[in-house]
Amino acid sequence: MAALGQASAVEAQPAPARIVSLDLCTDQLLVELAARKRIAAVTHLAADPAVSAIPEKARGIPITRGRAEEVLRLDPDLVLAGPFGVSASVDLLRRLGRNVVVVPLAQDLDGVRASVRTVAGAVGAPARGEALIAEFDRRLSALAPPAGALPTAVIYQVGGTVSGPGSLADAALAAAGLRNLALAYGLARGGQVPLELLVAKPPDLLVLASNVDEYRTALADNLRHPIIRRLRQRGLSIELPWRYWLCGTPHIADAIERLAQARAGIEARRQ
Amino acid sequence: MRHVPRRLVLEPRYLLAALAALAALAFILSLSVGPTGIGIDATGEARTLIINEIRLPRAMLGALVGGSLGLSGAALQGYLRNPLAEPSLVGVSGGAALGAVLAIHLGLSHLWALALPIGGLAGAALAMLAVVALAGAHGGPMTLILAGLAVSSIATALISLALNLSRNPFASVEMVFWMMGSLADRSLTQLWISAPLMLLGSALLMTLARALDALTLGEDAASSLGIDLRRTRFAVVAGTALSVGAATAVTGIIGFVGLIVPHMLRPLVQHRPGLLLPASLFGGATMLLLADVALRIVQAWVELRIGVLTALIGAPFFVFLVRKTRSELAP
Repeated sequence: MAALGQASAVEAQPAPARIVSLDLCTDQLLVELAARKRIAAVTHLAADPAVSAIPEKARGIPITRGRAEEVLRLDPDLVLAGPFGVSASVDLLRRLGRNVVVVPLAQDLDGVRASVRTVAGAVGAPARGEALIAEFDRRLSALAPPAGALPTAVIYQVGGTVSGPGSLADAALAAAGLRNLALAYGLARGGQVPLELLVAKPPDLLVLASNVDEYRTALADNLRHPIIRRLRQRGLSIELPWRYWLCGTPHIADAIERLAQARAGIEARRQ
Repeated sequence: MRHVPRRLVLEPRYLLAALAALAALAFILSLSVGPTGIGIDATGEARTLIINEIRLPRAMLGALVGGSLGLSGAALQGYLRNPLAEPSLVGVSGGAALGAVLAIHLGLSHLWALALPIGGLAGAALAMLAVVALAGAHGGPMTLILAGLAVSSIATALISLALNLSRNPFASVEMVFWMMGSLADRSLTQLWISAPLMLLGSALLMTLARALDALTLGEDAASSLGIDLRRTRFAVVAGTALSVGAATAVTGIIGFVGLIVPHMLRPLVQHRPGLLLPASLFGGATMLLLADVALRIVQAWVELRIGVLTALIGAPFFVFLVRKTRSELAP
């Protein structure tokens, strides 16, 4: 509600007309919330189908690399930034009197709603923001409720990294009615899990957040390991590319729906 | 270190048998230690999978890579008559990593699995030739180290360039893999593509025993004893490139094994470089297998990489050797 009040305060001012976004996640929220002609630039990642949930919508929008000088040349009246990578540029732009809004990293579903409200308020479209959130909540409440003990899941990535409690991906698992097995592997905040533990204590569902075909790197060797192939052949895994849930946007509902579907499949097989 | 009491010196075959037994013990230990300590925390099919697909490739790779590194270190030190020679210090490992990175990121390893270790061995051979050309056949220890540093720096710069140009989102993490090495989660695939080349390289290096013994008297004397110097040089370059190249291509750079192991074993073989070769083969395998076991034991508390562990042990040893070499060379 505090965020709502803030939004209406912003609404009183004229809506910004030259908006620049310096972060993949604010890119996506901006594209959903503001008219195309008011967007001056987004990052190159917004149109990258590997990480962006809305590559088609972002295609054709001018691109910025986020350097302060480059941003100034666009003469923005609003700059949206994330918590990472561009803090020096953000400081510089603020000192030069530009209006910069830093959107914190969403680490749970409330964080997603808060991000939507922050960006919607900043771009002067609070009603559009509330509509997005309502749709998001409607999709979440339409999920089938879990039946019995929660099946376990692991979000397994390139290099053997797993997402742990406190991450947005973990929140998506919980919302889908799955229990994150990272804790059982002794990873309180995520980290690398040895393949051996994955075999010794297999999850009910192996969630592959990285598609092996996208990588030629040596780090992806863990995904090419015969053991992963075996787990996948048994139908205990789903592929859920990062573009669905890397960012705290309402598109994470896509990820949650697919996870809930997989969970329902496991529950059906139990009976 | 040079004044080993006579009674401690074993006859060569007993010494080699003892070192081989140690390596075998380390191998068994490596098979029996996992992320949850000694033993396997699983039954039935999972247990079979863990042994066949995870622990066996890891232990075999540890033994082969460690043996290759130890043997190459002994061969380089013997051939160059230089106590500081070592695959990673003279840039051979860096060249191998560069060759492997190029094979992966140009997509060659995708087309043909063997392109990966072959890329590694080509890079290692080029680096080796560059270092020998830079330092000259009669360069002192410091010249060799400087030449190695130059070649390593070029290799490192080109690896990061290749990773960055490939728009690899994991460029920085992958850099760590190549620089610090890892035996974790390697599969039988990596074992099959690298083992034949490592074995071939090791066999080639083992043929050098007589030549290296003769070389302790100097090149002229060795020639007069019937040693073919050009053939010796070829065997050193090709053997090191094959074994270090193939090893590095599947595990990344693991440093200092080839430095420490020959130095620790040298007194036991009475400073005979020929006998040091098989001794360092077993010693290298033992050291890397034990380091890998230690890694898995501390894993519960801290995530360490094997290259970090060997560097933690090896770098202080290197400093000690540099000081010793300097005082020996001082006027």
